[in-house]
Amino acid sequence: MSPLAALGLFLVAATPALAHHVGAYVPKDNAITANFKQIKFSVQAGKFDVAHRLFETGALRTDMSARAASLPPRLEAGLRDALQSRDGGEVERRLMVFFAALARDLALEAERRLADLTLSRDARTAIGQRFLEAIWRYYNLVDFAVAQRDDKTSVAVRLAFDEAEGYVKSSPIPNPDKLREPLRRIAQVLSALIDSSLPARRSS
Amino acid sequence: MECPDLTALATMIPDARTPLHYRLPPVPVLLSAVVLIVCAEVGGASMVRFKLELTRWARNAMLARPAVHGLVGVRDVDERVLDEALVKFDAGLRLFHLHAEGMGLVILATTTVAATLASSPAPRRSIIALLTVGGAGYPLGYLLWSGLIPYHGLERGKTIAEWLVWIPFGGATIVALWWLAGLLALRLCRH
Repeated sequence: MSPLAALGLFLVAATPALAHHVGAYVPKDNAITANFKQIKFSVQAGKFDVAHRLFETGALRTDMSARAASLPPRLEAGLRDALQSRDGGEVERRLMVFFAALARDLALEAERRLADLTLSRDARTAIGQRFLEAIWRYYNLVDFAVAQRDDKTSVAVRLAFDEAEGYVKSSPIPNPDKLREPLRRIAQVLSALIDSSLPARRSS
Repeated sequence: MECPDLTALATMIPDARTPLHYRLPPVPVLLSAVVLIVCAEVGGASMVRFKLELTRWARNAMLARPAVHGLVGVRDVDERVLDEALVKFDAGLRLFHLHAEGMGLVILATTTVAATLASSPAPRRSIIALLTVGGAGYPLGYLLWSGLIPYHGLERGKTIAEWLVWIPFGGATIVALWWLAGLLALRLCRH
């Protein structure tokens, strides 16, 4: 056997060594999204006392209190009232507003970070991708509720999100500069949704 | 379905066929396999016993290197990055435990076959050496990967472990197994 053939055989034989198993990662719920699901399913099952307890003791309320300054007034108190009065629709609406606000704040922060041109193109692409994942993790939870109330907003957010993902994922060369525009649009659309969802409470 | 006639089958076995006497591989090879299995067990037990400490250490090491992990300082974004890295860190330790146990047994089985059936001394020695070194080294790649994750990130840590351990040691094992399979096939053809 010639040395070249031996080398070829060695390479062919050793190729499977490249395919080592390193495990798979499945993203998990964080404390807020897990608490949201617990409350939502309790409300759907008509167990408002359980939902109320889960709300009072869970991470969602803690985060809601911590972010009170950037949320519509009386969002937390109104959600508590709705749980006590067993008003499932109102609970869903207020949770929708909360998650829309979380997604909006992330979109605004992402847009601000991407404006920093001292960062490299790759760094901005990575930052954009991570912010988009976080935005979608929150918005995805309430997209159905948004679509039921305002399908145009739902479509607008999803279109902007798809466009943003295209700039960091699908394109042959990622373009983080273009990412700011769809992020701005997501923030605007969600702000409008938040403002229109609690008009009566805002004035109180 | 009709059962085959066992008596007829027995007559097909040649009377002159000599029974196969297994030969043990050299002592250092057996010792390597046993040490590897012991390491797997100690690693598995330590992983459970010090799970909290290990996770805390890895998390702190990652938080101290935000640029390496692409942390942006926003909890909603960073928690997933940290979670993925910690899951992979834990997976690396688990895979070390799993592969060290498995490869210890693979070394024992394959070197015994090589010692018994590879008749030429030079190829036999080479195959046994490759199986031992490759089999004992390969699982250490997972330990190395786990240790590198907090300092170099997931992908860079993986690339380093790949080129330093997985590809050379895994390649050595695979080449030795193909070589052994080839020798056995040749032996069967000759008989």
